[in-house]
Amino acid sequence: MRIEFRLPSLGADMESATLTQWLKKPGEHIRRGEPIASVETTKGLIDIESYDDGEIADLVAAPGTPLPVGAVMAHLEVDDRAGAGAGSEAPAPSAPAPSARAPAPTAARRAAGPAAARLRLSPAARRRAQQLGIPDETLEHAAAAGEVMHIEDIERLAHAQPAAPGDARSAMRQAIGAAMARAKREIPHYYLGHTLDFAAAQAWLTQYNEPRPVGERLIDSVLIAKAVALAALRIEGFNGYWRDGRFEPSAAVHVGAAIAVRGGGLVAPALIDAHSKDLPTLMREFSDLVSRVRAGHMRSGEFTAATITVTSLGADGVDVLYPIINPPQVAIIGTGAVRDAPWALEGRVVIRPTLTLALAADHRVSDGRTGARFLRAIAERLAHPQQL
Amino acid sequence: MDIRDIRTRLLELLTAIAPDIDAAHVDPQRALHEQFDFDSMDALHFATAVSEAFGIDIPQRDYASLASLESAAQFVLSHLPGGA
Repeated sequence: MRIEFRLPSLGADMESATLTQWLKKPGEHIRRGEPIASVETTKGLIDIESYDDGEIADLVAAPGTPLPVGAVMAHLEVDDRAGAGAGSEAPAPSAPAPSARAPAPTAARRAAGPAAARLRLSPAARRRAQQLGIPDETLEHAAAAGEVMHIEDIERLAHAQPAAPGDARSAMRQAIGAAMARAKREIPHYYLGHTLDFAAAQAWLTQYNEPRPVGERLIDSVLIAKAVALAALRIEGFNGYWRDGRFEPSAAVHVGAAIAVRGGGLVAPALIDAHSKDLPTLMREFSDLVSRVRAGHMRSGEFTAATITVTSLGADGVDVLYPIINPPQVAIIGTGAVRDAPWALEGRVVIRPTLTLALAADHRVSDGRTGARFLRAIAERLAHPQQL
Repeated sequence: MDIRDIRTRLLELLTAIAPDIDAAHVDPQRALHEQFDFDSMDALHFATAVSEAFGIDIPQRDYASLASLESAAQFVLSHLPGGA
């Protein structure tokens, strides 16, 4: 069976990308999860991965071509049975990245039935979109939930081109702006804060790091990511996606780690299966993510996999970070700096290292009381770091 | 190895862990965090690179000594095996 390989959306803030290089040739075999092409996006250079096992039939897009999300890039010849990967819930064995639960993967969309059913376009807009050959998936991706798209929206989409390298920063700023505007427009956020005693975590970290060479040491972000993952596993309503008008919880916790891009902007690639990995493994993977963000080379699965995000401004000395949810996720944790502060302990005032967690969560999925339990569950885990 | 060699090597290490930094525009006196938005992972990567390149141990409490390129150069000079 011949299927189309389309440019996937790598997050709510992506509208288009430029193909820089094919990593496969016609006639070559490709496995699910294997990179097929390199594309330049506002987040940098990203390797996009195949959703299916098969053989490359032909390459449609030419390197250097700007493509809207959903554009057909290549055709794959897949075995009919393997082709069922489109709707399969089973994660790829060796490549967790393009999991069937990832937001907006083309394959999942294909299986979900005609996009047109959910898409609302004015007649003129539909005609114009057809003239311009904009695929439904691009429209669906750009459409705000429940709003009808008009011809102006279509023209704007048609002109959305990836920026020249010199404009990369302002392009990233625009992309973040668009995604965050969508988050604020569509998601009824609620916010909760909780300051905790970070002494146990800090003491454990110092004791762990002291005898080890620099390259094997841990940083507190990794402890926090693991604590969030474990808490998200226990308290339901914070881990997963809001899609098609309902919450889809995820069984695995893929923690998005917000990483600032020098010169402005940020990306939040995922620590896959953070709930089930030990701290040294998470540290290695986090370290690798940061290195590849700095070198400008990431993999598509990392952008679509996160089921919840953690973001920190501790290094910049702020006390509290009030985060904005990254759609289609439903929760995000912000952390400030670890700071020595007066702390009431057993009826006395003592100085302790403290950390303030802020939760932004989606009111369509959870309430403040559940949110409070979630924050307490994170704090509890950070109080017992040896169990992380 | 004199201080100039150390400075040159440190700049190489810095641009290797952070290829998005322009080596020509590094101010050796200014803190890397201020200059390049270094986060804790960048700082650890730099400490790891320095530790491995010069074969010196860098305890956690000495991370602050690597705040700028010049302070890192002084730290390395005073900790090189065999002394300066």
